[in-house]
Amino acid sequence: MAGSRADLRANLTGWAFVAPALTLLGLFMAYPILWSLYMSFQTGKGMNFKFGGMSNIYRLTQDPVFLRALSNTMVFLVVQVPIMIVLSLLFAAALNNPKLRGRAILRTAIFLPCVTSLVAYSVLFKSMFAIDGVVNDSLLFLHIISEPIRWMIDPFWAKVLIIMAITWRWAGYNMVFYLAAMQNIDPSIYEAARIDGVPARARFFKITIPMLKPVILFTTVLSTIGTLQLFDEVNTITASQGIGGGPADSTLTLSLYIYNLTFRFMPSFGYAATVSWVIVILVGILSWVQFQVAKDR
Amino acid sequence: MSGLKLTGLRKNYGAHQVIKGVDLVVEPKEFVVFVGPSGCGKSTLLRMIAGLEEISGGDLTIGGVRMNEVDASKRGIAMVFQSYALYPHMTVRENMGFALKYAGESAANIARRVNEAAKILELHKLMDRKPRDLSGGQRQRVAIGRAIVRHPEVFLFDEPLSNLDAELRVQMRIEIARLHKELQTTIIYVTHDQVEAMTLADKIVVLREGLIEQTGAPLTLYDDPDNQFVAGFIGSPRMNFLPAVVKNGALTLPEYDGQVIPMPPVAAKLAEGAEVTVGIRPEHFRTGGSASLDLTIELIEHLGGESFAYARQGKANVITIATGTGRNWASGERIQATFDPASVLLFTAQGARVR
Amino acid sequence: MSLFSRLFSLLTQAMLWLAAFISVFPFYWMIAGATNTANDITGGKFTLGTNLIPNITKFFELVDVPLVFFNSLVVAIGGTVLTLIVASLAGYGFEMFRSKTRDRIFGGLLLMLSVPFAAMMIPLFVMFSGVGLMNTYFAIIAPGIASIFMIFYFRQNTKAFPSELRDAARMDGLQEWQIFLRIYMPVMRSTYAAAMIILFMTNWNAYLWPLIVLQTNDMKTIQLVVASLATAYTPDYGLIMVANVLATLPTILVFFLLQRRFVEGMLGGVK
Ligand SMILES: Nc1ncnc2c1ncn2[C@@H]1O[C@H](COP(=O)(O)OP(=O)(O)OP(=O)(O)O)[C@@H](O)[C@H]1O
Ligand SMILES: [Mg+2]
Repeated sequence: MAGSRADLRANLTGWAFVAPALTLLGLFMAYPILWSLYMSFQTGKGMNFKFGGMSNIYRLTQDPVFLRALSNTMVFLVVQVPIMIVLSLLFAAALNNPKLRGRAILRTAIFLPCVTSLVAYSVLFKSMFAIDGVVNDSLLFLHIISEPIRWMIDPFWAKVLIIMAITWRWAGYNMVFYLAAMQNIDPSIYEAARIDGVPARARFFKITIPMLKPVILFTTVLSTIGTLQLFDEVNTITASQGIGGGPADSTLTLSLYIYNLTFRFMPSFGYAATVSWVIVILVGILSWVQFQVAKDR
Repeated sequence: MSGLKLTGLRKNYGAHQVIKGVDLVVEPKEFVVFVGPSGCGKSTLLRMIAGLEEISGGDLTIGGVRMNEVDASKRGIAMVFQSYALYPHMTVRENMGFALKYAGESAANIARRVNEAAKILELHKLMDRKPRDLSGGQRQRVAIGRAIVRHPEVFLFDEPLSNLDAELRVQMRIEIARLHKELQTTIIYVTHDQVEAMTLADKIVVLREGLIEQTGAPLTLYDDPDNQFVAGFIGSPRMNFLPAVVKNGALTLPEYDGQVIPMPPVAAKLAEGAEVTVGIRPEHFRTGGSASLDLTIELIEHLGGESFAYARQGKANVITIATGTGRNWASGERIQATFDPASVLLFTAQGARVR
Repeated sequence: MSLFSRLFSLLTQAMLWLAAFISVFPFYWMIAGATNTANDITGGKFTLGTNLIPNITKFFELVDVPLVFFNSLVVAIGGTVLTLIVASLAGYGFEMFRSKTRDRIFGGLLLMLSVPFAAMMIPLFVMFSGVGLMNTYFAIIAPGIASIFMIFYFRQNTKAFPSELRDAARMDGLQEWQIFLRIYMPVMRSTYAAAMIILFMTNWNAYLWPLIVLQTNDMKTIQLVVASLATAYTPDYGLIMVANVLATLPTILVFFLLQRRFVEGMLGGVK
């Protein structure tokens, strides 16, 4: 057992290195997660709770505001994530052409939005999409529309606006992942395909896309998590008079609803925790589904 | 099977000319090897033939048809890349059949041709594996298989064996030679490896800075190089070059303490005082030659079957001597290295051969 | 090139330039807005105006700008430095001292990565108010210090740290912590640099958690100020744009100065 003392020492050193992180994670992550799981079975307002069993879950099914927040969130997810991923892929594929002129400028420009803070860009969008703002003016001028779009007032257009905003901010971010992955592909693979007579379209769909599958999965999962937690945009862009999620709750999301339950109304921690677990479960299910879809066909 | 004809072929990258006018005829079924120092344009020339690089000037014909502007896939060529360039997400079978799908072959035809190639290369046990589950040599065989299934008129290889270890390299080299015999196609092959070039080629093309220095059968280049560059490039270990001056009907070697060697027959027409370079291959030193050099052995390398002595005189260049199986020299020893004056080559100061 | 492929390449170029325009226009809009009046901005005026000085003056009157900027810097720099230390220690520990237990814990961390912040927001809020730490720098920074993503990032990058270096240092008689401090940190400085940029951006741009934790005006960060100005009953966009420029400028500067590193840091997790 000559090595055992040294092994023990190494083991202790290992623990010492990870201890600060594990302590903090336990305190600020594991504990809150368990706590909120526990809370989701409690009912009551403010700091008075009692065990409520499944009552919070029952309340979910009866709560029209929750159901609306859930359906809004799902709409954002189902519409925005695919649009953005496809756009990012298109940009990346177009930018990956070494003969393209102005490549560096284009890449930087398209990537730039993701360095802005959520607040800053939300404010910009809010002002640009004002009823007689620059976007409506331009669309009118170009005769694309005949009367101004009521971006912040019409529930449909409010959703569209939020989707455009998120896409604006994140498309370039995802694009960089795809570009990096594309640049890692051995160029002689494309040369081989050219000699093999594979047409450009098939090169993209039969070679590039399959080879990017892990990255596409990675970004899809990240985007799904992000969209399910959507908060900042709907709390700013479509907020009026300090209340987010408008008009008429048409952009209310689950995260925003949790925030409202906790901080805007009389605090209802137990119920809010239950809603937050809905997000956890959705993330879990969707990530699992995405992994299954991405598995080898 | 088609031959190729390159006439005045040129390639510019901006103002920088990389291929400076190459003329070359490749006969049908010929095995041609491009060699030359790194950066001389071997890959570029090959890729121009493949259609992967645009041709800036000159003409390229394959099978008598001008191909300058023809798409890579329509030139009747197949290429094997140094990195293999297998599609990582496809099985061996899919990799090999991929091109045929786009050539409009029927599924039955594809299967037949893929199996045929698999048999030639003994790949049938690996057909459903992905490239990452194959060894380097197996990947290389798949890459060759992918080329074979297309029944190309011309095969192009760019340093196909350089990622393999020494033993596999020998194996694959033999395999490629066998394939050439079996398939009877034209092959153009780029390599850094002397042995590959000497053993595989019907014809070696020596390139230097975008120009052909000499073209010819391996032994022709070895025995009868046109210039000092080719003489130095072909043969391993390299030929020894000794600066010399013609003086009183003999060659004086100023860097070797003015030792004198007899005039080789070809030097008869050289004028008194002309500066030349004497080229002696290591294996041309042998006992009983009528010329000799006084040298001191610095180091001896025994490779088992043969030995090399590195010897010098004063500050002059080290001279490599193949000692055959004679192992009786020791380092530090002063020797007389003898050779036959008729076996040496002479080059002018400009590097041209004196014949 | 055939007519079709020429057309196609023209089309993709047009698409890219349009996307680039759309991406950059809001930045221009922000700068132009800072020089215009509120009415001009919501009225869609996109040329430069003359209202810059009044906007700035009003902003500085309404908001204690140096204090707000100071708060933001404390939060961003404090959060960045602490995270770098804790996460790199953990990444080094997880990779260099492998053990079954620690590998399992690491797997558990990756699972936790998918738990949304919303689920932790309430307990964290209750925790911090329970111990009376609300409205402090500590409360904003603390939950983010042990960033799982960053631990993961450092562990991935540590794989490239040559273990011969560590062995050599051990033979030279260095203690483990000295190896980390004297060898690992200097050798991995480009890893640190990339992480630093990402962390600075994340912390500088943080919004939701600070919004929950910070209650008094003298603690607010620039992001909160912009948001509260923007969600006011009658937002004055002129001064909001001035605030916005201030809120965005540091990150844009960092981005342009260190673009390559920034992208490296972003990609760090997927390598
Ligand atoms: N895209 C390019 N732009 C500019 N110069 C290039 C380009 N591609 C190759 N070159 C130059 O052309 C020359 C020939 O390159 P090439 O790859 O053909 O050399 P090579 O003989 O194959 O070398 P090696 O033996 O190292 O593979 C080199 O000097 C190289 O720097
Ligand atoms: Mg080459």
